[in-house]
Amino acid sequence: MARNNSSDLAKEEQRLAYKLLIPAFLILIIIAIYPLGQVFYSSFTDREFASAKKTSFIGLQNYDKLLSFTIKKLPAEIDEETGQKIINPDTGKVEYENPIRVLPRKPYLYRPLQEFNLFGNRYVIGSADTDFIKSLYNTLVFTIVSVLLETILGLGIALVVNSEFKGRGMMRAVMLVPWAVITVVSARMWEWMFEPSRIGLFNMLFEKIGLTDGNTAFLSMSEYQLPSLIAVDVWKTTPFMALLILAGLQLIPNELYEAAEVDGANKIKQFFNITLPLLKPSLAVALIFRTLDALRVFDVFQVMLAQKRYSMASYNYFQLISGRNMGMASAIGVIIFILIFVFALLYIKVLGVETE
Amino acid sequence: MNKFRENPVQRALFYIILSIIIVYLLFPFYWAVNSSLKSESQLSMTPATFIPKDPVTNNVNIYWKNYKGVFANGSFVRGLFNSLIVATSTTLLALTAGSFAAFALGKLRFKGKKPSLYIILAMTMFPQVTVLSGLYAIINLLNLGALFSMVLTYMLFTLPFTTWVLTSFFRELPIEIMQSAQVDGATPFQTFRMILLPLTAPALVTTGLLSFIAAWNEYLFALTFTSIDPDARTVPVAIQYFSGEFARQEPFGEIMAAAVVVTIPIVILVLIFQKRIVAGLTAGAVKG
Repeated sequence: MARNNSSDLAKEEQRLAYKLLIPAFLILIIIAIYPLGQVFYSSFTDREFASAKKTSFIGLQNYDKLLSFTIKKLPAEIDEETGQKIINPDTGKVEYENPIRVLPRKPYLYRPLQEFNLFGNRYVIGSADTDFIKSLYNTLVFTIVSVLLETILGLGIALVVNSEFKGRGMMRAVMLVPWAVITVVSARMWEWMFEPSRIGLFNMLFEKIGLTDGNTAFLSMSEYQLPSLIAVDVWKTTPFMALLILAGLQLIPNELYEAAEVDGANKIKQFFNITLPLLKPSLAVALIFRTLDALRVFDVFQVMLAQKRYSMASYNYFQLISGRNMGMASAIGVIIFILIFVFALLYIKVLGVETE
Repeated sequence: MNKFRENPVQRALFYIILSIIIVYLLFPFYWAVNSSLKSESQLSMTPATFIPKDPVTNNVNIYWKNYKGVFANGSFVRGLFNSLIVATSTTLLALTAGSFAAFALGKLRFKGKKPSLYIILAMTMFPQVTVLSGLYAIINLLNLGALFSMVLTYMLFTLPFTTWVLTSFFRELPIEIMQSAQVDGATPFQTFRMILLPLTAPALVTTGLLSFIAAWNEYLFALTFTSIDPDARTVPVAIQYFSGEFARQEPFGEIMAAAVVVTIPIVILVLIFQKRIVAGLTAGAVKG
């Protein structure tokens, strides 16, 4: 009787558990699982948004178009009369054929992405969708550089704040301020500081210290675009990084440092022999956590550069909203998903999952 | 923890580094405040000044009209209102569904618990941008209003996080509480609602705050789903499309004032709850 009773209770508990899980799983199915399936499916079609055109299945064509690229040798231009290579009289350099003539036109028109010299020959890299390849490059450079800088700066700040000093609590509060600023707002704040004349902070400062003439167009000149965006992201997320690292630092028992002190190890030795090895797990978590976040960067790119330069996410948005190319946008989504999935696997592997 | 040496040089050096860090973290916000207090002619002064000054006399001259302009701006005020609705509803929905699921995952025994936990954990890393086109299609198909669409889709990043953090909190509550409540004749759900839920209040506050801030911050979905319904724009989108009441060119003075207006409530909230937020952020990152 008693046994029966307890198994009844167990059954009841199980039923209750399922009931309680229903809302959460229902929501996740509607907004994650089902759309994910849709996106995978649409990525193999030429579906257009809000159009009367019939959607047809086109296999891997979207992916092919996004990812295909080619390298071609650029021949030098030959003077028809003399049969000699044409040398530009101004620069003294050999003139090369226009890349468009060399790159394939079928099945898609390839556009030049980058030219380079190797062993005295000139080559051109062409791709069918240069904007996408560039967005991939932009995203990866943005991710690697910003995460690296954030980790180094975050570690520095965490080490400083971890010391005993008056006003430590206040310092912690200060650290949360950049984190609390909405990303779009921080992008606009920096946009204003990056103004291309001396009404902007950076041009004013750089001119004052004699670095530039005070008219640098940080957001229009391509060589300054990514560094500017990285500066915004580093400012905004370094505190978050520092907080995660600080939590890791506080897990290191003080006795270790005391023992090292007795043994006569100096601060630098202590840092490399105690702090860094013991900090590794929290550092790895913070690193990968930020990497996943940086790979899907959208806000700063969209606000500060819009159509001038894309991240993968902002290119996805552009294809969907402005281009109405749902099939293409879905394929971009899938590529982002796979990229992030690879990093996420790493994440789970590094961390291990504790379920009990 | 580093012990502070008595050496005055080291001490001075330490405080110099500390000051540099503080200036670095706070200066951009200071610059926004500074610019928000300048008139259009003060904003176009070259070189830019560190405090609002009169272009002619060079005396300190504070200009308040940008703030007036911000609150007279219908689309911005509506944005504030929309953001408040969306962020509050998101938080409440995430906490309700999340605490239900977390109670089951943290305290009840049932088949399929481990896979469920894995799914939730995997969800915390889900890249929202991937499903953008799929969600946009669903929302257009179902013709959900933009505000409701945002609340629903914000579950994508608030619900898994909330569930994960609350689950670990529930797990740590002693099982005796449930057992003694059961002996007293309470059903498991009653135990959850009347005894366990109040005990998790601190975790609810933490995860609730983080959900609220995340929803307040969100831009990609907001921009996409309000593209056909400008009246539903939330603060980030409204600030992006800000057009001034007084200024002729891009009204940076008013934009900076708007930036200050939307940042200050969050900063105050964060400063009040800083300990809990830090705990929540680290728990979220370490465990999920």
